[in-house]
Amino acid sequence: MKKIMIDADKCDGCLNCTLACMNAHRADGGDICSLRLTDLQNESRNVIHILPDGSYRPVFCRHCAEPECVNSCMSGALHKNPETGIVEYDEKKCAACYMCVMNCPFGVLKPDDQSRTKVIKCDFCKELGGEPSCVKACPKQAIWVEEVQA
Amino acid sequence: MRHLIIGASAAGLTAAKTIRSIDRDCEITVVSKDDKVHSRCMLHKYLSGERTAEGISFVPEDFFQENRIEWISGAEVQTVNAVGKTAALADGRTLSFDRLLIATGAQYVVPPVPGLRGAANLYGFRDLSDAEAIDRASQPGSRVVIIGSGLVGMDAAYALLDRGILPVVVEMAERILPLQLDDNAASAYQERFERAGCSFRLNAKAASAEVDENANITAIVLDDGERLPCDYVIIAAGVKPAVGFLDGTPVKPDLLIRVDDHLRTPVEDIYAAGDAAGLSGIWPNAMKQGITAARNMCGEDECYTDLYAMKNTINFFGLTALCIGNINVPGPNADVYIEEDHLNYRKAVVEDGVLKSILLQGDISGGGIYQYLIKNRIRLPYTGSELFRLSFAEFYGFDETSGKYVWQV
Repeated sequence: MKKIMIDADKCDGCLNCTLACMNAHRADGGDICSLRLTDLQNESRNVIHILPDGSYRPVFCRHCAEPECVNSCMSGALHKNPETGIVEYDEKKCAACYMCVMNCPFGVLKPDDQSRTKVIKCDFCKELGGEPSCVKACPKQAIWVEEVQA
Repeated sequence: MRHLIIGASAAGLTAAKTIRSIDRDCEITVVSKDDKVHSRCMLHKYLSGERTAEGISFVPEDFFQENRIEWISGAEVQTVNAVGKTAALADGRTLSFDRLLIATGAQYVVPPVPGLRGAANLYGFRDLSDAEAIDRASQPGSRVVIIGSGLVGMDAAYALLDRGILPVVVEMAERILPLQLDDNAASAYQERFERAGCSFRLNAKAASAEVDENANITAIVLDDGERLPCDYVIIAAGVKPAVGFLDGTPVKPDLLIRVDDHLRTPVEDIYAAGDAAGLSGIWPNAMKQGITAARNMCGEDECYTDLYAMKNTINFFGLTALCIGNINVPGPNADVYIEEDHLNYRKAVVEDGVLKSILLQGDISGGGIYQYLIKNRIRLPYTGSELFRLSFAEFYGFDETSGKYVWQV
């Protein structure tokens, strides 16, 4: 299965991946120049954390082999696709109980800020095709897609 | 190999799916009282009218065909013959098995209040059939008393408010959601429910029920003498494992089934998972127990280790909360940290540098790391209210072969 691999040492905290993710998931479409950074609807699926020593830790959904989020989902909204390995999320099925938020040990998942009716979850930019937008936007090759054993 | 699973909820169906993923050829039969697969955590969405019965299923429509599972629905298992390896159904049929999983869940308890037991208009809120019965009993303007303000009682209240029914909730504790929340967090929800038309009687006990000649409750009388007239009553005062059908069998030598770390009952080839196993009563743990039991039923060797069950999330009126551990009883050497702003209330209990419990109300983003810290008793890098800003970054490790994150502690 394909995975977004990470070299935290290469990350210089430019947040291009975060902006690319926000832009890829905006409802109104358009290019990055028109992305409204303060619009609550434009949320990123990844977070770049800054540590006190000035280094960065990119936190991206791992699409885990044994996903705690899927194993806690009481609505059937979260599902691991056995072919692609992607942990898929169906917003329409979701009951916004947030058991998945409580169970993701890496703190990747969060409720949407605007309505608290869905989860903000990496979809590998599946609908856009090609590589995930974050990977395309990284100027440091700190994140890349690689085929790994499940 | 013939696998029989009793129960079609979180543990049962997760086990069925897991067995099929391991063994393409075995026979799998699920037998359940439920005639529709439904998520018990979504009953309020059915009762409020937001979703249909099909809309609260937690598996795809073609689940049973896709996984080649025979499903005997609407059928009750009357007893299990542990020696002959058969299960007898109430309709007279007998099912044989090589491996059996008991995943019958839990049933609601009716407290010993005079008049309650046996009343015709007393409903639990546990199964879809309960929600359907409440739906049929509900008229615009129905007067409803809900006994218990745990998550089940509040879910029922939330759904009724959506239909324009304004229930009265009776709670013995001094606050609503007493196990999950403290007074401060509970009052934030109480205000929202009251604004929507719900009323509460806290520190109150149902002392008796007035019953008419048709066995219908007409009023609940509280211990202070107050009389709450009602058209029906919802009981949400706790549950117990639904394992009565095993009375007198070696599977359940005393009041409860006791499973070992492989989720085996005392009888070989008979396993239990979910609420029926009595280990913990929440959905995620039931699913994980279903997976572990299934693997062991297929001859694998897996221990169930995730015993931590004192955790929950709440979402009413768009106000979210996450609560892990007992926030209300800090030990004598505990430090309690509280942080509040107009959108958030946060509280943490720390003992000897280890997080014991946490309550987040408002923004719960990324709160999953706290469960990991509490469950694994991990020493915090720092304490004080800065711990509310902790993230996985502080424990970041990355496996370059698998691409998995690894906790560095």
